[in-house]
Amino acid sequence: MNMRFIIYILGMLILGSCVQAPSFKGDEYALISSNYPIISVNGTAIEESYKLDLAAGENTVVIVYHTYSKDYHCTFTWQAVAGIAYEVTDQENRYPLTLYQWQRKNRLWAMRLDPVDPSGCTVVEHDDNAGLIQHQVMSG
Amino acid sequence: MLHFVNKFIAKLLVSAGLLSVLISVHAASIVPNLSAISDSDVRNSAIAFVNTTTLPGLEGATINVDTDDRSSEQLRSSLGFSAEFTLKKHIFNGYWGLAIVGGSLDDRIDVIADTGEQVKLDIRRDVIGLRGSLGLSFPVDQYFKLRPFISLGMADLRTITNFDGLPITDASGETETLTTFDTSAYMGSATATLDAAYSRWFNDNRLEVSAQYNLRNTELISGDNSVLNTTAWSQTAMLKARYSGATSLVTDGRPWRWLAYASHTNFLSFDKASLGYTGLFEIGAGMEWNVNIKPLDWFGWQSIGLSFGVITSRNVEGYSFGLTAR
Repeated sequence: MNMRFIIYILGMLILGSCVQAPSFKGDEYALISSNYPIISVNGTAIEESYKLDLAAGENTVVIVYHTYSKDYHCTFTWQAVAGIAYEVTDQENRYPLTLYQWQRKNRLWAMRLDPVDPSGCTVVEHDDNAGLIQHQVMSG
Repeated sequence: MLHFVNKFIAKLLVSAGLLSVLISVHAASIVPNLSAISDSDVRNSAIAFVNTTTLPGLEGATINVDTDDRSSEQLRSSLGFSAEFTLKKHIFNGYWGLAIVGGSLDDRIDVIADTGEQVKLDIRRDVIGLRGSLGLSFPVDQYFKLRPFISLGMADLRTITNFDGLPITDASGETETLTTFDTSAYMGSATATLDAAYSRWFNDNRLEVSAQYNLRNTELISGDNSVLNTTAWSQTAMLKARYSGATSLVTDGRPWRWLAYASHTNFLSFDKASLGYTGLFEIGAGMEWNVNIKPLDWFGWQSIGLSFGVITSRNVEGYSFGLTAR
């Protein structure tokens, strides 16, 4: 009885956490999700967001990777394809953040495909007294 | 980072000096005329065996000991992962992990009893347990992270010991020279870990250096042997450097990378007599395949690989072969 209950709970947890297909705003839209805040889309500053609908075509987004000594404002420019989900995450690659195509493979896992590095990351150093003291650019 | 270690196979030749320690849990409390083995030796041996199997950060190994008066094989393996999860609105991330750990020891020791008999001990130990970790990951900058986390573990330890050649009189008054004891104990542990990880890219090559310190409290509870009802503190330090680079190999659209690594594990608080060594050095190389999937859409699983390593230390020589995932 107890074992059945445990199996039931585990089953519900797994089913409840199955990989869901993304939902798009419309036929001409792509989707981007990020583990870190998106602060700018196509040159327009926005309120920090972690998930956005993007019109298909070339898009430029700026995403901030925060650390305790610096912030990295990374700029991604790419051709977003309608009906495709994208994901930005930290995988300790050459740049702080990497853009992937997120593709649902089945109910158990998704795939990260076609990694794209940012075109550059502006490094903003922290300073306890003055806030921001320096700007540098990591070139692509 | 996903972490998944299955099983290493290693052969280690260990020098003499272990005789009084890797011994059955029953020896001190029940077996007469074997004063070479103290209660403290029994406790230290059990704690060392359990800890070297279940500590976070330790990878699988098979340890063969071959000296004039002992022959033994210790196996440890683990299956698990660890990963970061995003805590939005915070600079730090969360860090968690789960692992199933297990190990066994087959130990055959020749020892002289107080009464002069040559006694052969044949000891079989098995331990299996679960370990869960939870903590935080603090990115200092792009290259350097500090991860403090707590791991709680529970394990079941079973020991079967044959004493051959030592006359033992049981409760009914019968004296046997071949006696078997079967005992069990439960282990609970709490481990505080500080992990410092640095990584940097040089063109297509990546250097990773990590240092890890563990402070563990281990509680053993046995209904069979009161000697084992004990609590112990132990410390372990690990250093690892890893260098990887791109290759032209591609499978299913995913690239392969070569890797080379070197590591050192130091069991800071263990007596050398408990294990025969207090430190292990390992150097190895392998290949990893960038699968880059996201199980249950929870966390990234970047790569799976095979590695081969040589283990050496002052008293240890051997090799290892393992399956790893990150």
